[in-house]
Amino acid sequence: MAQPEQVTSAAQSGPYDWIGTSVPKVDALDKALGVTQYVGDMQMPGMLHARIRWSGVPHAVIRGIDTSDAEKVPGVRAVLTAGDIPGVNRYGLAVQDQRVLADDKVRSAADPVALVAAETEQAAEEAINKIKLDLEPLRPVLSIEDALDPTAPAIHEGGNLFARTTVRKGDLDQGVRDSDVIVEETYRTHLMDHMAMETESSLAYMDPTGVLTIITSTQYPYRDRRQIAPALNLSMNKVRVVQAPIGGGFGRKDDITSEIHAGLLALKTQRPVRLIYTRQDSLIANTKRHPMLLKFRTGARSDGRLTFVDADIYGDTGAYLSLGAFVIKKAGIHACGPYDVPNIRVDTHTLYTNNLSSGAMRGFGVLQAAVAHESQMDQLAHRLGISPIDIRLINTLKPGLATGTGQVMDEGCGIEATVLRIKEYMESHDLRFARS
Amino acid sequence: MEHYSLKINGNVYETDAEPFESLLDVLREKLRLTGSKKGCDEGECGSCTVLLDGKPVLSCILLVSDVREKEVLTIEGLPQGGEPHPIQVEMTERGGIQCGYCTPGIIMSAYALLQENPRPSEDEIRFAIAGNICRCTGYNKIVEALQAAAGTPIR
Repeated sequence: MAQPEQVTSAAQSGPYDWIGTSVPKVDALDKALGVTQYVGDMQMPGMLHARIRWSGVPHAVIRGIDTSDAEKVPGVRAVLTAGDIPGVNRYGLAVQDQRVLADDKVRSAADPVALVAAETEQAAEEAINKIKLDLEPLRPVLSIEDALDPTAPAIHEGGNLFARTTVRKGDLDQGVRDSDVIVEETYRTHLMDHMAMETESSLAYMDPTGVLTIITSTQYPYRDRRQIAPALNLSMNKVRVVQAPIGGGFGRKDDITSEIHAGLLALKTQRPVRLIYTRQDSLIANTKRHPMLLKFRTGARSDGRLTFVDADIYGDTGAYLSLGAFVIKKAGIHACGPYDVPNIRVDTHTLYTNNLSSGAMRGFGVLQAAVAHESQMDQLAHRLGISPIDIRLINTLKPGLATGTGQVMDEGCGIEATVLRIKEYMESHDLRFARS
Repeated sequence: MEHYSLKINGNVYETDAEPFESLLDVLREKLRLTGSKKGCDEGECGSCTVLLDGKPVLSCILLVSDVREKEVLTIEGLPQGGEPHPIQVEMTERGGIQCGYCTPGIIMSAYALLQENPRPSEDEIRFAIAGNICRCTGYNKIVEALQAAAGTPIR
């Protein structure tokens, strides 16, 4: 192929010659040929197949787990529950609030309660379905409103409000007095799955020197190792995490997914274990995009100039934090969008619920904020009789102006140019806003 | 277990399999032809697309017992004389591939289209790969690559 040669010569002539050059990805041809080895494409001699039994109930006390029928399924080599974990049954990216396998309580319908490793996938599947769970349901916390209810049960020690962050700028009362129009609205965004084409998958085995090796579809091998080793009571140098080619991550493979489970089964059986989430597993378990409740009050003068933003953003991080507090804080930081707002009060609230847990996903909280601040801009434009494009041009951040958190824009601030390009495009293609 | 002689990529493969096993599982786990991917295992995503007697099919919802006496073509069978097929080259060079997991399925759907319709329009290309989900590219680069492979103008 001609293109790689062209790239080499460009690289030789100067460091910036890459800019504007099409560079084929180094691993693209292998992917086109179908020879790239993702975890699910790998096999090892003596390899077992693993499956996970999820709780299926959002909030409950575990009274008992009966694995006896599962153990009798031909081909089953291990059925593990929380008592089989050799180390600390806690992990998590920011705080260690997740259980490798549920112990005292079930905190979400996606809590793993038992693991099976078997000679065939069919045997593993049959076995997880034969595990009997004795769960005593607790009152579930299933919404942001539930989580804010003072009578709601605490999902973790420390209550359901995990964190609160604030952004303050100027004088909110002055902003209200300066306003000719105020728009007050509540917005809700929904839970969303990344739906990476490749589901979560790990292949774990003991190497000949006694190092537990986990080949996995992950975004962070070292952060994974930091969480795997304590759970399995291994020192860090006895765990090796190998990042396989990833069939899509988008944030969902930031967190531990299949790694500790595959590692635990390999440790217990002393055989290679491959754990591949089914699509259903992937939809049930692992992190999602945070559902948020955004209460916004935004003011403007009759000339379209913004006067204030007064907002509360509530994020449902589900049963486990993952990176929730950072995602939800970021929604607050971006609550005013790319606009110059003189007076700001924004609070964010990170809440535990018994819902599926949310974490990193492309955009990391900024998209939820955009739903609110852009809808507010459209509403203000409508109320003031200004075009949606013009109200944005009046308020865009420009070099020298600062965001709500005090970051002063430099020449890299391109929002005004972007809006002008949109205006130009709409005019040249005879496009109009429906409501202006 | 039953015995199967499967005609795949011009070769005959002998294997034992349960009749209820999917063609995809037999290809991947028994014959070790792992280029066809498992994205959903329920006929939604298109990652497992192979050709059966020249027509694109979803190998995850096709039983191995249904492909006897038929010709199967997988991504591994596309290169000729050790050279990648032009679709594979264009997908590589035009940014049609990111994570690569949907790629074999997309290429097989595109290959089936070009066999039937060597000069497809952009709409015909988009229709032909409508059953193949990609979460990385946003499809435009894929469509451009397929237009290049077909030698039709790229918009």
